[in-house]
Amino acid sequence: MKKVPEEYISRELFDTVQVYIITKPELQNKLITVTAMGKKLIGCPVCIEHKKYSRNALLFNLGLVCDARTKTCALEPIVKKLSGYLTTLELESGFISNEESKQKLLPIMSTLLEELNATGACTLPIDESNTINLKLIEQRRDPLIVQEYDVPVFTQCKDHFIKSQWDLTTQQILAYIDGFRHIQKISAEADVELNLVRIAVQNLLYYGVVTLVSIFQYSNVYCTTPTVQSLIDDRSIQEECLNYVTKKGQKRACLRDVFQLYCGLTPGTTVRDLCSRYSQQLQRVDERRLIQYGLMKALIRRLQKYPVKVTRDERSRPPRLYTGCHSYDEICCKTGMSYKELDERLENDPNIIVCWK
Amino acid sequence: MFFKCGEKTSPISVILVTSGSRGNKLLFRYPFQQVSDCTSSLTTKQRSPYALNTTGDVLEDPDGDSRFSDIILATILATKSDMCGKKFELKIDNVRFVGHPTLLQHPHTIQVSKTDPSPKREMPTMILFSVVFALRANADPSVISCMHNLSRRIAIALQHEERRCQYLTREAKLMLAVQDEVTNMTESDPQSPFRQILPKCKLARDLKEAYDSLCTTGVVRLHINNWLEVSFCLPHKIHRVGGNHVPPEALERSLKAIRPYHALLLLDSEKALLAQLPLDCSPALVRLIKTCSAVKNLQQLAQDADLNLLQIFQIAAHLVYWGKAIIVYPLCENNVYMLSPHANISLYSPLAEAFGQQFPGHDLPSMLAKFSLPLSLSEFRNPLDASVQEAQLIQMVVWMLQRRLLIQLHTYVCLLVPPSEEESGLLRDEELPLVARVGGRSLSTPSALSFGSPSIFTQLMIWWRICFSLISLPLV
Repeated sequence: MKKVPEEYISRELFDTVQVYIITKPELQNKLITVTAMGKKLIGCPVCIEHKKYSRNALLFNLGLVCDARTKTCALEPIVKKLSGYLTTLELESGFISNEESKQKLLPIMSTLLEELNATGACTLPIDESNTINLKLIEQRRDPLIVQEYDVPVFTQCKDHFIKSQWDLTTQQILAYIDGFRHIQKISAEADVELNLVRIAVQNLLYYGVVTLVSIFQYSNVYCTTPTVQSLIDDRSIQEECLNYVTKKGQKRACLRDVFQLYCGLTPGTTVRDLCSRYSQQLQRVDERRLIQYGLMKALIRRLQKYPVKVTRDERSRPPRLYTGCHSYDEICCKTGMSYKELDERLENDPNIIVCWK
Repeated sequence: MFFKCGEKTSPISVILVTSGSRGNKLLFRYPFQQVSDCTSSLTTKQRSPYALNTTGDVLEDPDGDSRFSDIILATILATKSDMCGKKFELKIDNVRFVGHPTLLQHPHTIQVSKTDPSPKREMPTMILFSVVFALRANADPSVISCMHNLSRRIAIALQHEERRCQYLTREAKLMLAVQDEVTNMTESDPQSPFRQILPKCKLARDLKEAYDSLCTTGVVRLHINNWLEVSFCLPHKIHRVGGNHVPPEALERSLKAIRPYHALLLLDSEKALLAQLPLDCSPALVRLIKTCSAVKNLQQLAQDADLNLLQIFQIAAHLVYWGKAIIVYPLCENNVYMLSPHANISLYSPLAEAFGQQFPGHDLPSMLAKFSLPLSLSEFRNPLDASVQEAQLIQMVVWMLQRRLLIQLHTYVCLLVPPSEEESGLLRDEELPLVARVGGRSLSTPSALSFGSPSIFTQLMIWWRICFSLISLPLV
């Protein structure tokens, strides 16, 4: 058995966990992670049977050892890949069973250890024709499903991202992402199929390039969240916010005005109402960007309207969209009605009540 | 509400393994393997031990551990004795096993018993055992910790009963006898041996009950050997807001944030809750449950129940943790409530149905619509209504609070000094003030201070000009 560095695994630890390292046939080719004595071992046992080997089979396992508290999900693909590579090398050229080439294993393992720890990536030249490239990929959380009425907005300046690195679909829609167009509109204007746009934006969401906000209208209602306190407590958020919301070409807005504006957003107050009540504070502030920033940083949240049909005749069909599960945004997108049309239609119907949440 | 086993917080299976003089054995496993998988595992035994096992790719079953035969599980889960007394965690592809292997007797005592010629010592001795839960590999680390906790609790109870009356050895003997019996009758259709074990072994039934409870309510209450109680709750199943579970750190933080001006709102009726308590529970708990009310704050509760405040906090935190109560602000006329963003307002939700049954003649969506705009309790009640109706309205609010449909809004006051015209407007830290010309200046012209930030003295002078910004922030 070869170990790099030699002293990291004690004899006792190896004795305790050996059943998980060189395993019974049923567990071969499976990724096994075992925690014992303060250490975590990740390995993938392989068995190659052939008459040429003593005992007719070669069993090996290249594993990684970490501290027990480490999160090792990112290392698993690397272990799996390595075991696949070594299997191929062995089948092609007897890399592991050959006494001479076996000596190369130790320096390879040293390089692997050093480079993965240093940069998270490593290149292992095996011989003239074979090189193994490995990289630690950060595990991210699954992104939300992107709906047609969601609006993507860049989390950093657009020019920060190198366009040529993205796929063709994404490149085509990038120009239309401005923090105000929703998915359906982007699809129509960029002439890309709706589902493709949704998938492309979901991909951007996964990498943190964009975040989602809701459609902006002057009739929208918002309210503050507890996070709005961070505008008072956190100096960096203050700076970022004031730079973002100030009207172009104007002197920087003051914190007091911006904070008053955010606090002026309450249930029952539309953006239009806000503009008329706080016109003095809005002299240096762009209200669209104010709302956009507030949503991006979760300082405010949108209150959506949900129509519910509470009473109906026995004979009429059960409501399909007016069940309390679909917001005005969604209904308007799906049916093509405008907000105003939907409002007029529902206001006159005594069977329908509207919940805001 | 039944949660299917595809849920990330539910275990895949529960397994009992032991290691002893007869080697490693898997005593019990639930849920049982399907019959078809049983036959495939039989055929693999006949294959050459050196054959590459490729069945893993063919029977891709991301949802289970049924790929693992009993034999292999016994080998990998019954660990060596030096792994005992500690958390055991093993991950194989997308299944994670967690347990707490427990030593029953020191390995050396086995040799002593072998030299003892008395015939009683023929019985094979058990060295260690482990109750292992199989989980999905992507389960939250806090879920894994909780399962380990449960495994440890069961292990402590079993260890105690084993020492007192060899309970585990007896149950193990029963289980192995049934397994031998079933494997000997392979002519009949291959039934899972574990199915036969269930009616005969109390321990097997206990483990099955633990598994079923974990998959549904998240509350486990077992009586090992009808004697020792093991109770456990999985916070991820009990505390859910808007479809997601509350992370344990958030739960801990909120339990520490309980204050004397809060009130305790029970989630069950007083009678139902008292019926669930064990016979030997603390009388302080019973007193508290009998005297608590949503309109009384914890300070008053301490006086009424004749307990000190620290005890009240501890008991309240205990009830909240077990999902039997929530912390609210004492109900009063000025409280302002609003519809929670996580509330389920669907016409067809089970909540709507329950509300209709509890309060005939009223429907939930209409009530919830009233709280779309923040409403205080005094506005909600109509003073012209009969007092009976008023009482019912309060009951409705309590009902909605219990189910987290409403949140309470609070008013916070923030002090923001209006800037002078020269300043850029940011609140600056107080630097050493440059000379500030003060005397003879009218209070209404702070703009005359043209050097740096105003000194403290001048700030006091313009105190009356400071405006209050009133903000409403929802309760966290």
